[in-house]
Amino acid sequence: MDNFFDVRKSKLDVFNNNIRKKVVVQTKINISEGLFTKCESCNELIFHEDLLANLNVCPHCNYYFRLSARRRIQSVVDKGVLTEMFLNVNTTNPLNFPGYLDKISQYQESSQERDAFVCGKASIKGIDVAIGALDSNFMMGSMGSAVGEKVTKLIEFATLEKLPLVIFSASGGARMQEGIFSLMQMAKTSAALKYHSNAKLLYISVLTNPTTGGVAASFASLGDINIAETKSLIGFAGPRVIKQTINQELPAGFQTAEFQLEKGFVDLIVERHKMRDTIGKLLKLHKKEV
Amino acid sequence: MQNKVLIANRGEIALRIIRACKELGIATVAVYSKADKDSLHVKFADEAICIGNSRSNDSYLNMNRVISAALSTGCNAIHPGYGFLSENERFVSIVEKCGLKFVGPTSEVIAKLGNKAAARAIAKLARLPIVEGSDGVVDSLEEGLAISNKIGYPIMIKASNGGGGKGITIVYSETEFRKTFGKTMMEAKAAFGDSRVYIEKYIENPKHIEVQILGDNFGNVVQLGERDCSMQRNNQKVIEESPCVSLNPLVRRSMGFAAVRLAKAVKYTNAGTVEFIVDKDGKFYFIEMNTRIQVEHPVTEAVTGIDLVKEQLNIAFGSELSMRQYGIKTNGHSIECRINAEDIQNNFRPSPGTIKNLVFPGGNGIRIDSHIYSGYEVPPFYDSMLAKLIVHAPTRKEAIRKMRMALEQFIVDGIITNVDFLYVIMHNPEFVKGNYNTSFIKKVLEEQNNG
Repeated sequence: MDNFFDVRKSKLDVFNNNIRKKVVVQTKINISEGLFTKCESCNELIFHEDLLANLNVCPHCNYYFRLSARRRIQSVVDKGVLTEMFLNVNTTNPLNFPGYLDKISQYQESSQERDAFVCGKASIKGIDVAIGALDSNFMMGSMGSAVGEKVTKLIEFATLEKLPLVIFSASGGARMQEGIFSLMQMAKTSAALKYHSNAKLLYISVLTNPTTGGVAASFASLGDINIAETKSLIGFAGPRVIKQTINQELPAGFQTAEFQLEKGFVDLIVERHKMRDTIGKLLKLHKKEV
Repeated sequence: MQNKVLIANRGEIALRIIRACKELGIATVAVYSKADKDSLHVKFADEAICIGNSRSNDSYLNMNRVISAALSTGCNAIHPGYGFLSENERFVSIVEKCGLKFVGPTSEVIAKLGNKAAARAIAKLARLPIVEGSDGVVDSLEEGLAISNKIGYPIMIKASNGGGGKGITIVYSETEFRKTFGKTMMEAKAAFGDSRVYIEKYIENPKHIEVQILGDNFGNVVQLGERDCSMQRNNQKVIEESPCVSLNPLVRRSMGFAAVRLAKAVKYTNAGTVEFIVDKDGKFYFIEMNTRIQVEHPVTEAVTGIDLVKEQLNIAFGSELSMRQYGIKTNGHSIECRINAEDIQNNFRPSPGTIKNLVFPGGNGIRIDSHIYSGYEVPPFYDSMLAKLIVHAPTRKEAIRKMRMALEQFIVDGIITNVDFLYVIMHNPEFVKGNYNTSFIKKVLEEQNNG
């Protein structure tokens, strides 16, 4: 059926190439950077504005891109307004780790944040909360002294003001460049949370992709309610390390949010788009009548 | 620099654009869905790229795929044709941001004119006569009732983002208004994703007349006369002609001026159409502006001798209009019939299938814009138009005779078409007299059903 079209076309090609000597010059178009994002999962091109509007979730395959701490908080609080606090806590280099502060300033440049934790006071569905979020775009959301100090200060602020506390975690764990000082933050944040808990206040911990290491082993898993975001990786050591250490095949879906829900490590799994409603509902249910 | 245009459409209009590009020495890239792999636009373009599955949403309406196809083939412009993404403001703004030329007006202008309530406000400022109605969107039943009672029934509730005759409810009384207002908003939300509606006086059995506009990037705007598109069934045009027989020359003149005023008010560029309705007393009112090339553009081409698609491309690539208003003369009369794959006996149901044999009419003053051929399979996924048959003759009477002859020789074997139906209309005494309005076809069908 198609044959007569092909015959015709090849004849015309012969004519154009040999007799007419038609030369097609390819023009190159420059597209401004950042107009499109390619989905890491389904490879579809996504218009960047669409991705932002959809909370960094691929509109085609529902793949979850990372969400910065600031946008994460804006996506759940009323009118996106956060009164940011503890801006004077700065990272130092206690171990004189080579190149550490240069690396920090690079991340400060690229993320426009001072460190990997953004926090302050806001309201969700009309209820005042102390809220904070780790930024996985800043050194993988790792916890050094500055991050630990800000987390602790936020918890203490919540205790003092009798506010419920919401923290979004996204972290590779303790920051190795600060060694033992980083590990100390695990104990410090946990202790602060105990005071918060003694004051009979609510702490909702949201574990997002990925929540691992020292963060998972301290304040991230100490919530009165531990929520996991859909498709998050949650664990202590990564699956590759565990596999090499124990020399065994790991079970299917190991360390996924769904796996952790089944094992009782998290209490519920919530989609990114439903996060605000869910947290709002939980806050309302646990609100103390004054 | 070699210009290269991606044609973001299918069927006869894709072919029409490819032909104009070839004449202008512009390279062409076709996009197609899986169902259209044997379509002529795929065969005749310099390059062709498959952009997805048969459903329009997966292919011709998928902005990202269309734009990636344009970028990956090194195109510097996109021609949208009509329908699909042609009046999608977001699509156009992405095209612009990608540094591609859009063969049509800017996204800003499309946004202004695409929202019917906003377009009305602009038209009012440009001193165009508009049908009495609400100034913009009506939010509540009470507000709507107050407006309707003031202007008097019958009135229409129209979806702000509607189109193609959909999203319109006609209301004859206050009680009926109370019943239908909320429902119309809900339907608008479901159909167009936007529940905003506005209210307009309903003009019974008007004529639908539109004026063709061309504007360039240097502020020049010309109008190329009118088209009478009153031959409609369910708001779908069936037969169009130019000029309109029943239009008084003074009204024609002021309609033309009005159209140019509107185009200049929004700094319109490229081809567009200003739609009017004309009531039985010959008064005309602006309804909307279509910001694209239209299906029925060939009748204007026939009487003016101007190739609208070539002009579109020249304007998009930065040329000044090659004509001025005083140089535009209309000559003779032109009629277009839309040949559709539809079954008149079964309520105009689409009838896709394979065309076994095909004979096209021809000769002096006959033009056929079509993508079909013997052996072509008409896919069920898209609109059912197979061909546009356009005749051009010195007088309307001669044009009608030519059209009858052409329809006699238009033979499609294998699928059911509306050729016979068109042939009957060409012999209807009222049509021949030029005495018809938008309710004509409905009446003809009712009479036919009654015996």
